[in-house]
Amino acid sequence: MAAREPSRYLARTLPRAIAPSARPQTLACRRNASDDAPARRLSNHLAELETESSLATPLPADTVKSFNPVAAAKSRRAQLPRSRYQFRPPKYDRGPLHPHQPPPPSDPSSRVFVPGPFSLPRVQQTYDAAIASDILTLCYVHNPPGFTPPPKAPRLREWDDSSPYHKNRPLRGPRGGDVLRLLRKPIKFNSIPELERITIHSYVKQAAQENSGWLHVAGMAVQAISNKRVETFKSRASVSTWSIAPGRDTVAVKAELRGEDMYHFFGKLVDVVLPRLKDWPGVKGTSGDSSGNITFGLEPEQVALFPEIEVNYDMYPPKMIPGCHITIHTSAQADKDARLLLSAMGVPFHGKIVN
Amino acid sequence: MSMHISLRRTAATLTTTTTPLLPGSSSSSTTGAATTFICSQCRHATLLRRPKRPYTFTQLITLSDGSTFTHRTTSPAPVYRSTRDTRNSLLWNPSSSKLMNVEEDEAGRLAAFRARFGRSWDANSPAAEPSSISAAPGAKGEKTAADVKADEEAARAARAQAQAEQEEEDNLLDLISSFGQDEPQHGPGSGSGKKK
Repeated sequence: MAAREPSRYLARTLPRAIAPSARPQTLACRRNASDDAPARRLSNHLAELETESSLATPLPADTVKSFNPVAAAKSRRAQLPRSRYQFRPPKYDRGPLHPHQPPPPSDPSSRVFVPGPFSLPRVQQTYDAAIASDILTLCYVHNPPGFTPPPKAPRLREWDDSSPYHKNRPLRGPRGGDVLRLLRKPIKFNSIPELERITIHSYVKQAAQENSGWLHVAGMAVQAISNKRVETFKSRASVSTWSIAPGRDTVAVKAELRGEDMYHFFGKLVDVVLPRLKDWPGVKGTSGDSSGNITFGLEPEQVALFPEIEVNYDMYPPKMIPGCHITIHTSAQADKDARLLLSAMGVPFHGKIVN
Repeated sequence: MSMHISLRRTAATLTTTTTPLLPGSSSSSTTGAATTFICSQCRHATLLRRPKRPYTFTQLITLSDGSTFTHRTTSPAPVYRSTRDTRNSLLWNPSSSKLMNVEEDEAGRLAAFRARFGRSWDANSPAAEPSSISAAPGAKGEKTAADVKADEEAARAARAQAQAEQEEEDNLLDLISSFGQDEPQHGPGSGSGKKK
């Protein structure tokens, strides 16, 4: 490159290269008497090489006839050891200081590894292809260049120093309640609301009053509709009319769905189950915890409409089929955005919409 | 795992810094960040339980309009055909005339009846009245029909006409037409009431 575009340094460097150096230039073409020694002669090495491939040489006939790997394997009395080292993770976690550590849960050799996902659910494809871009378009707020939003009041109010006792007090909460709401950030391409997880929760009060069969049936029903093993929970509240004491009675069943399970359940719920509910007007518009999570409930006869329970309806004692609460957790920070997402995904809302 | 490793390393070198140090060179550089990991030895062992997952099948769901999709489910049935879903329920298709409760009127007989006797012929009449079959059609819409009937039975016609006039005042069409006109009057009033 330097030769193509002549630089101003070229004129200085060129005579330096041409100038005769102190060392003699004839070093490369000088011959010595020792070059003719047989160890240093190049032509001898080449002559030692075989010109033909070793694969082309014919094998002796008896070697060919005796070659039978299948018979050799059958005639072997004990099996050969496995070819690779099979790692078995430790069964117990013995703490961080133990030299034998279990592999992380994402490792396929880990004992707590859960494989998957095995499919790309339809709801997820719909979300990626259509819903996400629609929500991004709907939530676009145009700010002309040079526009600066007006500064907002601080979320935590300071004390006016009217009293000397105000010194070093912690800041006050917002007006009209002590709850500090989530900040609603603008919806950008990387913060489009999406489904995070779905919680199916069922509180069976008869599990404390009568027997644990109610809880078993509720667990099986929730597991059937959710593809997930349920967790059981004890009551935290004391309900004396139902004879429920805190910490004593196991009364609730919960399944938490994420990822593939969640999308399959949501698609099944919206496409098959919700349209079959009798006289169901939709999810109440007032539901939601004002931070982007929407909850609605299903009655026992509505839970029985799930195809998994319907196909095997006789397995469940009819009066023991539980109702459940379904909470849809979205990554939206306000109920308004969560409702926008859910209505785009097919959940109808009715009544007064509270944001 | 990585957390465990870092904990182990700090515990092994017994230095209070986060940077890996040679044991010999700890004279001057230990004065930096004083991050202390609390790493107590535990003698117990926790069983790592294998997670339990119900067996799932792949099921083909056929919606009522013929579209299909697969999903993973605990139900062993390979195909599920739904009779009622989002494609044919009114809540998801509010503008579909097929799904709305529309009467079949191919011959136009119901339309002809409505053109002759009006729409409100049995809107407000008590259903238990035995003579309503003959009285009701003549009673409602037209004065001419009521007059023809009056030759036969004057008393019944008079009663029917009075009923017709009373019904014409509060018939459904009037309600519907006056609905939009009433609303703007209500709107500001209720809004101001709310604000105060």
